[in-house]
Amino acid sequence: MSGDRPEDETGSGPNKPDAVPHFVSDEPFNADVEVVLTPEQEKYYMASQWRLMWWKLKRHKIAVAAGIFLLLLYLIAAFAEVVAPYELQHRDARNVFAPPQAIHLFHEGKLVGPFVYGYNSKRDPETLQKIYTPDPTKVHRIRFLCSGGYKGSEYEFWGLFKGDFHLFCPTDRRSPVFLLGTDRLGRDMFSRIVYGSRISLSIGLIGIVLSFMLGIVIGGMAGFYGGLVDNLVQRLIEILKSFPRLPLWMALSASLPAKWSPLLIYFGITLILALLDWPSLARAVRSKLLSLREEDFAVAANLMGASTKRIIGRHLVPGFASHLIASASLAIPEMILGETALSFLGLGLRPPVTSWGVLLNEAQNIQVVVLYPWLMAPMIPVILTILAFNFLGDGLRDAADPYK
Amino acid sequence: MHLKGLFAVSALVAVTTLSVQASADFNQSPMLASEVAAGKLPPVDQRLPQPPRIIETAEPGIYGGDLRIAMSRSRDTRLMTVYGYARLVGYNRSYELVPDILESFESVDDKVFTLKLRTGHKWSDGHPFTTEDFRYWWEDMANDPNLSPLGSPALMKVEGELPVVEILDETTIRYSWSKPNPFFLPALAGPRPPFIYRPAHYLKQFHKTYAAAEGLAARIKKRRMRGWAPLHNSQDNLYDLDNPALPTLQPWTNTIRPPAQQFVFTRNPYFHRVDSDGNQLPYIDRVLMNISDGKLIPAKASAGEVDLQARSLFMSHFTFLKQSEEKEKFRTLLWDTSLGARIAIYPNMHVADPGWRELFRNRDFRHALSLAIDREEINEVIYFGLAEPSNNTVLPQSPLFREDFQTKWADFDPERAEELLDGIGLDKRDKDGVRLLPDGRRLEIVIETAGEETEQTDVLELIHDTWLDVGVKIFTRPSQREVFRNRVFAGETMMGVWFGVNNGIVTANMSPAEFVPTQQVQYQWPKWGQYYETDGKAGDAIDMPAAQELFDLFRRWQTATSEDQRRDIWERILQINADETFTIGIVCCTKQPVVVANALAGVPREAIYAWDPGAHFGIYLPDTFYFTGPLN
Amino acid sequence: MFRYIVHRLLLMIPTLLAVSAIVFVIIQLPPGDYLETLIAEMQSRGEAVDQNQIEALRRAYGLDKSPVEQYFSWLFGLLQGDFGWSFEHNRPVSELIGQRILLTFVVTFSTIAFIWIVSFVIGTYVATRQYSVSDHVATLIGYLGLATPNFLLALVLMYLANQWFDTSIGGIMDDEYRNQPWSLDKMLSVLEHLWIPVIVIGTSGTAGMIRRLRANLLDELHKQYVVTGRAKGLHPRKLLWKYPLRMALNPFIADIGSILPEVISGSAVVAVVLNLDITGRMLLDALRAQDMYLAGSFLMFLALLVVIGTLLSDLALAALDPRIRLSGGTTR
Repeated sequence: MSGDRPEDETGSGPNKPDAVPHFVSDEPFNADVEVVLTPEQEKYYMASQWRLMWWKLKRHKIAVAAGIFLLLLYLIAAFAEVVAPYELQHRDARNVFAPPQAIHLFHEGKLVGPFVYGYNSKRDPETLQKIYTPDPTKVHRIRFLCSGGYKGSEYEFWGLFKGDFHLFCPTDRRSPVFLLGTDRLGRDMFSRIVYGSRISLSIGLIGIVLSFMLGIVIGGMAGFYGGLVDNLVQRLIEILKSFPRLPLWMALSASLPAKWSPLLIYFGITLILALLDWPSLARAVRSKLLSLREEDFAVAANLMGASTKRIIGRHLVPGFASHLIASASLAIPEMILGETALSFLGLGLRPPVTSWGVLLNEAQNIQVVVLYPWLMAPMIPVILTILAFNFLGDGLRDAADPYK
Repeated sequence: MHLKGLFAVSALVAVTTLSVQASADFNQSPMLASEVAAGKLPPVDQRLPQPPRIIETAEPGIYGGDLRIAMSRSRDTRLMTVYGYARLVGYNRSYELVPDILESFESVDDKVFTLKLRTGHKWSDGHPFTTEDFRYWWEDMANDPNLSPLGSPALMKVEGELPVVEILDETTIRYSWSKPNPFFLPALAGPRPPFIYRPAHYLKQFHKTYAAAEGLAARIKKRRMRGWAPLHNSQDNLYDLDNPALPTLQPWTNTIRPPAQQFVFTRNPYFHRVDSDGNQLPYIDRVLMNISDGKLIPAKASAGEVDLQARSLFMSHFTFLKQSEEKEKFRTLLWDTSLGARIAIYPNMHVADPGWRELFRNRDFRHALSLAIDREEINEVIYFGLAEPSNNTVLPQSPLFREDFQTKWADFDPERAEELLDGIGLDKRDKDGVRLLPDGRRLEIVIETAGEETEQTDVLELIHDTWLDVGVKIFTRPSQREVFRNRVFAGETMMGVWFGVNNGIVTANMSPAEFVPTQQVQYQWPKWGQYYETDGKAGDAIDMPAAQELFDLFRRWQTATSEDQRRDIWERILQINADETFTIGIVCCTKQPVVVANALAGVPREAIYAWDPGAHFGIYLPDTFYFTGPLN
Repeated sequence: MFRYIVHRLLLMIPTLLAVSAIVFVIIQLPPGDYLETLIAEMQSRGEAVDQNQIEALRRAYGLDKSPVEQYFSWLFGLLQGDFGWSFEHNRPVSELIGQRILLTFVVTFSTIAFIWIVSFVIGTYVATRQYSVSDHVATLIGYLGLATPNFLLALVLMYLANQWFDTSIGGIMDDEYRNQPWSLDKMLSVLEHLWIPVIVIGTSGTAGMIRRLRANLLDELHKQYVVTGRAKGLHPRKLLWKYPLRMALNPFIADIGSILPEVISGSAVVAVVLNLDITGRMLLDALRAQDMYLAGSFLMFLALLVVIGTLLSDLALAALDPRIRLSGGTTR
């Protein structure tokens, strides 16, 4: 249906770009003359599939918002050192389990700009709990786009070069700013979440790339060759799908050699997540290929002597790449959640590595819920990220078939 | 805290319980009285042995009630054997060995042990408990190649020699060795004692020698076993209490077959202890053990769903528990613990890399590391300031304690640490301030943990900073318990983190083995320990003078004949440990929170929560705990 | 039809054999074996390790044999209905699974019912109001469950239930009913605890279901017969209920096979947090303790359930939708 009878489609259909004016030709109709497209029309008819997809996606406001949000998150992850006011390992032994500080603008009726009140703390002799109260005499202004000069401000950006520049920072070394409170060692929760995003967000991306490669290769083989290969792959998929995922993750991650360095463990876990994710992708690829290879253009390519590789690569894959991207964006959140579940079971990443799953694992007991609820804060970015991926995925999926 | 006379030179010492007039009236729980009335049980004076063991109680308790406790796994039924603490001989609250199941015992030079049973003592099913039960274990189990493929347990062997076992009569049995076996009696009093007796009348039905062949074959088939020995083993777990049909001598016996989510332990009607007024113990009728995930137990405790709980509770839960005390009507006690150090770093003397090995064996290096730890800060941040900075040594409650043992090389003195490090050729640093080994590598140490508790990684994070200040960089690598152990054993681990010695409250008569290379699980010198454990078949011989001296002292302790000698040896051992800093202890004297329902009486306010000796609640005799006020 | 079923049943044999081999490899993967776990545990609490006992256990459990031998003896046992022996619990695996199966079914089926009902309501609602505000809001609610980490949600709900309704912490019923025979009170106690796991596990499954229902229903609604129907003036409700909805319901049936493992995975984590005595949790414990026959037989059992479930759902689909023809291979 790709534009062979343009007259029918210009004026109707739900996906018509608004910019095209109504067009009625007063010239006599001559069937022998090729229809000449105006430049305007040309723009739409000759637009690539990706462009059409983008136009369609743009109308899906929530998906666009989700996409922008995700872009922002990944930016934060990339520049974690700058966004976080404190370096990952920094801890403040005087402020252990300090609650979040509210950001104020006015002090005693005067505008001071964003600031927080310092803490007064004392230990309850009975319960041994350290109790913090905001001290209205201690006004700690927050500086923006600043160079540190306080403890914990220096970092090595990507482990490569030293830096001291932050998005925001406390005034000086004696006026800590803990927007989301601190944990049991006095580490700033906000900074930890920011640093944690680096691992949690990338694990989904790397995982999906791996599972993509597996899915496309295996599913592609099954779909294109059919027959015995198809049957074997189908069985394999069926077998893998018939396992509960979690026990498989568990068993596999329990078998990661404990002597591996945290980095290797990280890749190991990513690989495990990917290993169990490819079947659904492979299945989608297979069924799409099965239907596409019967299409005229594939048959035509075949008749014209194109090699199998070329047919798959040039003609078939582009036909459903958009679908794949949509399903990928829906698979990433599962991987992010998978990482948190594994950490929860003590089989995923472990401290001192910091990921959202590790942070949540530390919040996983009732006394945190009761006494230090701010330690559950990493839940918020997890939820938001997953929602965003889902909305983006939905939008992409709707947009993936631009002619519909 | 002195084990008077027990080990005295050539002395024949007998410890007996007070005799009670046979005519004394005994009382029993109403729960049993009704069964007696119904003719299901014999009367109480026929159920008690002569004489029963009398527990001095200030005032008589009240019968009845269900004690609710929580455990994290189905297999933890065995803790009721620990808590019940019915032992042939057991420790009392002052850590003296006293006869419990036994009426009396004699020890001659730790070589000849004569055990005397109580007349008329019965198993929980009412069958008499006699020396036949000891014989059965010794002849038909410990020396049966099917049940004990590796021969009788190590405790019964002194340098390979088995004891001569003589059954003198129905209530007297004697074990004699030609060399001293000072471990025999303390082992019997342990939390997991070697059960050198078994209910022969019950187990014979599973034993090839006694059971009719076809009946046994049918049983084996029914239980899908590979032979009679596995069948026998599966029915015979006096420690695990997992077979409700197996008779026991403990105060409460299990009635539910595992696995289950709740185990119900009911009182043993034949239990051998009475209080000062002749009331048969235990006071409490039933113990309900609920199985819950370990992480939920603090929540259950704070919701008032347990009556007595220490397991799975840690200091980090204290605030949380305290908060709901009033609402849920319980109190949170803080008991002392017996760990020599709550946490200690173990430099591995057997690490495969020769450069590191040489360094770790250098005393100055270990001292420097120890001096570069700010123990006060760790105490403040992680232990609420309730612990004490300490080496891994004996605790202040021990008569062998000296302040010097606890504090030597354990103050925070980074300058001195730097001097020491400079002095042993580690004076070069790279641009990050990390010192360099003589061969040019960075002084980067990987410290491994068993990866179970964040406490260990937290402490290491604090240490990380102060060590870095003196130019030592550490990386923490969590793993899993089994992996951790095996890597330490194999010399793959540079340093490990684990608890300190198990028993820091020692007396001169207790074995100093924990401070001497005698066990593979001593992570600072696993191969030397393994060498001793396997009689030289595996591991390495000690090749370090200080460790060798420790070992020689240990040998001398084993054959020492007086308490004074033993004390001298002990002091020397502790002194060497303090001087050498083989393990780097961090803090000691942490507390164990114990949740006790307000209605539960008899639980001491201040006590020591320890595994061996102590058996957790065991030496405080939970059979004497009772409920006041409304029963739950 | 008959030939098709026979064909499918025959195909199950190689599948299950392959599954058994994979399962066995997986449970053997983690380093060490059960006895090492046991020794480590004993030593860590200062208990002396009785080498005799360990050696006896090693022989009794057949851990002294080669993995290949162990695999075949396990496989032949399975074929004869013998699921093997649980080291940890010292009992036959079949007894252990049997004990928990009732509660497991209760939790699993309540959860599936929950997923169906919620996703049916939300899915139908959003499909008929594509891109409206209510579409977005309802979808958001559906996705929230997916996005919240199960274990944390379970923990918070458990705490709130304890604070507000005085529900006991953890467990599927109050402690006092644990060894009681079934009674009305016991059932009420189960109901009092059941809603938390059902909601927690269920919410993570609804999002996918809503999405599928919505997509299918949208497809159907754009088809010619619906347009025709609308043009002929059929009542909108009838237009929705009569055919499109029926067709769109296929995933409910088609996905039984894949929903089951999902629910069981979800229930395993939740069961750990909430201390539920169901099979999912036992599986996790078994995997952790390297109780290999328990873990292995249990995974096999699940795989069998799923394979059969898939077959049944294919058959049901065929019965419901005459357009689906049964031929070799899966029709989904």
